Amino acid sequence: MNIEPHVSAEQFDVREYMRLDLFPHFLCPGCGHGMALRAMMWALYENEISMDKLAVVSGIGCSGRLGAYIDSNTFHTTHGRPLAFATGLALARPDLHVVVITGDGDCLAIGGNHLIHACRRNLNMTCLMLNNEVYGMTGGQVSPTTSTDRYTTTTPYGNYEPVFDSCKLAEAAGAGFVGREVTMQVPTLKDLIRQAFDYNGFSFVEIISDCTEIFGRKNQLGESAEMILSQKAATRPDSYGTKVDEPFRPNPLKTGVLVRSERPEYRAVNYQGKKSK
Amino acid sequence: MADRVTNVLIVGVGGQGVIMVSKVLALLCQRQGFEVKQSEVHGMAKRGGAVFSHVRFGKKVHSPTIPTGEADILLALEWAEGMRWLENLNPESGVFISDTQKIMPPFACRNRSRNQVPIYSRETPAEILDKVASGYALDAAGLATDLGNERAANTILLGIMSTAFDFEPQDWLDIIEKFVPKNSVEINRQAFLEGREWVKNASIPEVVTYDDKRFENESVMRNELEIIPHWCKGCDICVRMCPEQCLELNDAQVVEIPRADDCTGCRICEWLCPDFAIKLHKVAVPSEISKELVLET
Repeated sequence: MNIEPHVSAEQFDVREYMRLDLFPHFLCPGCGHGMALRAMMWALYENEISMDKLAVVSGIGCSGRLGAYIDSNTFHTTHGRPLAFATGLALARPDLHVVVITGDGDCLAIGGNHLIHACRRNLNMTCLMLNNEVYGMTGGQVSPTTSTDRYTTTTPYGNYEPVFDSCKLAEAAGAGFVGREVTMQVPTLKDLIRQAFDYNGFSFVEIISDCTEIFGRKNQLGESAEMILSQKAATRPDSYGTKVDEPFRPNPLKTGVLVRSERPEYRAVNYQGKKSK
Repeated sequence: MADRVTNVLIVGVGGQGVIMVSKVLALLCQRQGFEVKQSEVHGMAKRGGAVFSHVRFGKKVHSPTIPTGEADILLALEWAEGMRWLENLNPESGVFISDTQKIMPPFACRNRSRNQVPIYSRETPAEILDKVASGYALDAAGLATDLGNERAANTILLGIMSTAFDFEPQDWLDIIEKFVPKNSVEINRQAFLEGREWVKNASIPEVVTYDDKRFENESVMRNELEIIPHWCKGCDICVRMCPEQCLELNDAQVVEIPRADDCTGCRICEWLCPDFAIKLHKVAVPSEISKELVLET
């Protein structure tokens, strides 16, 4: 949709696309998942994707519950398996726009295998992984993306495992589109998700979210405002270039579009025109 | 002019060509056998900030800067910059030459709501020209746009300034050619001659021109924040992130807007609210009230 950004911001009302009878939602105060949901709905609005042609598949966890609030075709599946369900859905109904909302534990630990195979197949769908570094809903256990030395209920002496870089994993497994953004940059995140929706193939977006109540409080990371600001400060947008400039952006965690390859989509090579012998 | 030092102060905004004008003048004076000293500040130029250049020439020049109140010519490429440097002009014999073009600095927009009148110098050209010994004010940017390139406005003003000296017009043109890009030599020559022509029947413009038609057809909008109190969980994000600090948490840990007039409608609170509890509405103010609002500021 080629409209001015401020016109789009004025016209778009996220409440028109929500199941308002379920509100207020179940998320804790200051949880970044709400901002990510807004960015996703805004991207759907700007890409003019009809709610009838949208299928949201979500797993278990805080992120999995987001699907329930979207007034569309939503599919709440088993733990770690949203990508497997979505693969079947996308193959059976190519007319649907399949979006998977998943969390870091859901996608990388329990559903890690499904992620790498979904990346390998490059089937046309979008996977939004909300990374809040912890299993929030089940009580704050350590997850594959918990930073080193952070305290969780299962790592009372600090986490000593190295961190899983999900974007590198998706890239190595063959995802055609890989991106990363923090929740605080809502318009930028919206633009990134729009590109992911437009991409013909498997697109993986890591959204760095904050878990204030369970993760932030235990690690004394401050309130939501401090957490989202520190997340923003720890990332380096594309516009800063590849150079790590010490005093300003020492962290090499890149945001924006990380990978965009021209791999053929699954159905274009493997599905159409093949006949059984 | 021969024995004493002549002081020329050239001021403007970054990108207008203050340095180019002062280079032309300095080189010309040097070629005519004077000693020239020039000093400038252009550090803020890239951010659209103030640029000024002192040019002093004569038989013997000691200091590169002009003492306050001793400038013989003040050449302003922008109206408010001219106002700012007016006290440096010699009150008895100084010549004031200024473009009436307005270039609005960001901090002139104190009230950041849409369609508000920026805070800017309110003197009309006639008022200012009364105060100085002799002066010219014209819409040089408009004249230059008519010639084909708005950026030649500085050369028009240079043409006006050249009438104050005894140098030959051809000498000026030779040096202008050295400093302008090759494909704009012709337009700068025209602009220089246009400036010299203009002086012969100089007139005083009525208003300071400001050519910004972006918001012309927009009515004044009021920002109204709709907050659903029972959706708000009091996470404090909007209160901390609001650039105008117009939100607050009340005793029940629910956000409210005590300073609604300060809201500029930037939507940061709406975007960052994880609970979808805030929605900004832009409400058009009826035209009779909007006229009053504009007059107040």
